[in-house]
Amino acid sequence: MADLLEQLETLRATEPRVVMATLVAARGGSPRPLGAKLFVGEGGGGRLLGSVSIGGCVDARVVEQADRLLAEGRARELVTVVVDDAEALELGLACGAEFDLLLERIALSEPDPVVEVYAQAWRRASTGQTTFVVTNLTGEFERRVVSDAGAPGRGQFIERFAPPDTLVIVGASDVAAVLARLARMMGLRVVVVDSRERYATADRFPGADLLIGMPAEMARPYLAEGASVVLVSHDYRHELPVLREALRAPVRYVGMLAGRKRADAVRALLRDEGLSEEEIARLQAPIGLDIGGREPEEIALSIAAQLVAVREGRPIARRDQHPRVPAPA
Amino acid sequence: MSAPFGTTVLEHFRRPRNRRPLESPTAVHEAFNPLCGDRVRIELRIVDDIVREAAFTASACAICTASASLLTERVTGLAVAGARAITERDLALSLDTNVPAARARCVALPLDAMRVALAAR
Repeated sequence: MADLLEQLETLRATEPRVVMATLVAARGGSPRPLGAKLFVGEGGGGRLLGSVSIGGCVDARVVEQADRLLAEGRARELVTVVVDDAEALELGLACGAEFDLLLERIALSEPDPVVEVYAQAWRRASTGQTTFVVTNLTGEFERRVVSDAGAPGRGQFIERFAPPDTLVIVGASDVAAVLARLARMMGLRVVVVDSRERYATADRFPGADLLIGMPAEMARPYLAEGASVVLVSHDYRHELPVLREALRAPVRYVGMLAGRKRADAVRALLRDEGLSEEEIARLQAPIGLDIGGREPEEIALSIAAQLVAVREGRPIARRDQHPRVPAPA
Repeated sequence: MSAPFGTTVLEHFRRPRNRRPLESPTAVHEAFNPLCGDRVRIELRIVDDIVREAAFTASACAICTASASLLTERVTGLAVAGARAITERDLALSLDTNVPAARARCVALPLDAMRVALAAR
């Protein structure tokens, strides 16, 4: 999930008030998960950020409703957007669906209780505590932040804010800089480790935690379940010490930027050091989905795509288990 | 990986001696080469002016790792004065390979770390 508070900060620069539309229920399928948010700026021409549907067909209806809410000066409203079957065909959807959305007016030029609730949940999640925001949609409106939500009661909508998964990037290269940006947009916590402070700078890696020192030692505290480790230093001096630990840690993914020949040589060195075949087999190298890109941006994109495929358990995720497709002549 | 170096460098790179942190070192320093990114930490346990244990941690190239490995082997059991007397040339000879001039810093980095560690204790 993208950083909700960052979205609000972005809007704060130009929008004194916005409507936050939250997808709270969907019948007939939804291409976006419940909890998806769309922010609509004031004044008919206000900025839009986020979405509650893919592609905007439903979003357009929500924007219309949000404009109306602001014009009428109301604080909140639960609305239903219905896409009937005929409309669905026209819109390219497989079938009709209904979406319930909670629209809430939020003040950005002054403290706002809605923002404060989400900020509290975000702060708690970022310290490692899974946190829930429970909203009563029916009866008296109420919203609270809790550590244990239990099963949703009637008319309750529960949003879960878990600590973000961590992406550890070893080597503050150009590929790393783009990958860090993509990963932040994907809602990951990004940790960049390098031994060279001239490369691992805040302006190259906005929003990332930068750790300068012995890469393996810097990475060690983050080698936990759900974490991903991407080595893009293209330099065995930093790769080997990190791989020795990462391949034995309960991380979700370990990938290394390397051609097949160099990757095999690194595997041989790891074998010499006593890593088991099972451990070595966890290393994804060459890294990324095979989309044929060469520029840092394209390589970073292929890595980001592979991280998603691994998280979702897609067969395409293991590049080395697919036949190599020759590039067109 | 092709190997332009001799067997001593390869042996100490692939099976480095004393590559571990010490439990209670009495002298420690981490040296860094900002150009290539080599980083090596030398840890010593000195008792009664004798180096009882020497170990290293590194994120470094083959030459630098081999140099650190050889250095820790060599200083273990030496008096502090003897450890201080080791030179870059001594280490380069121990590596038993032609170290290109551009890589001389890789040999010297662990030695620099040890010298600072000894001076600071």
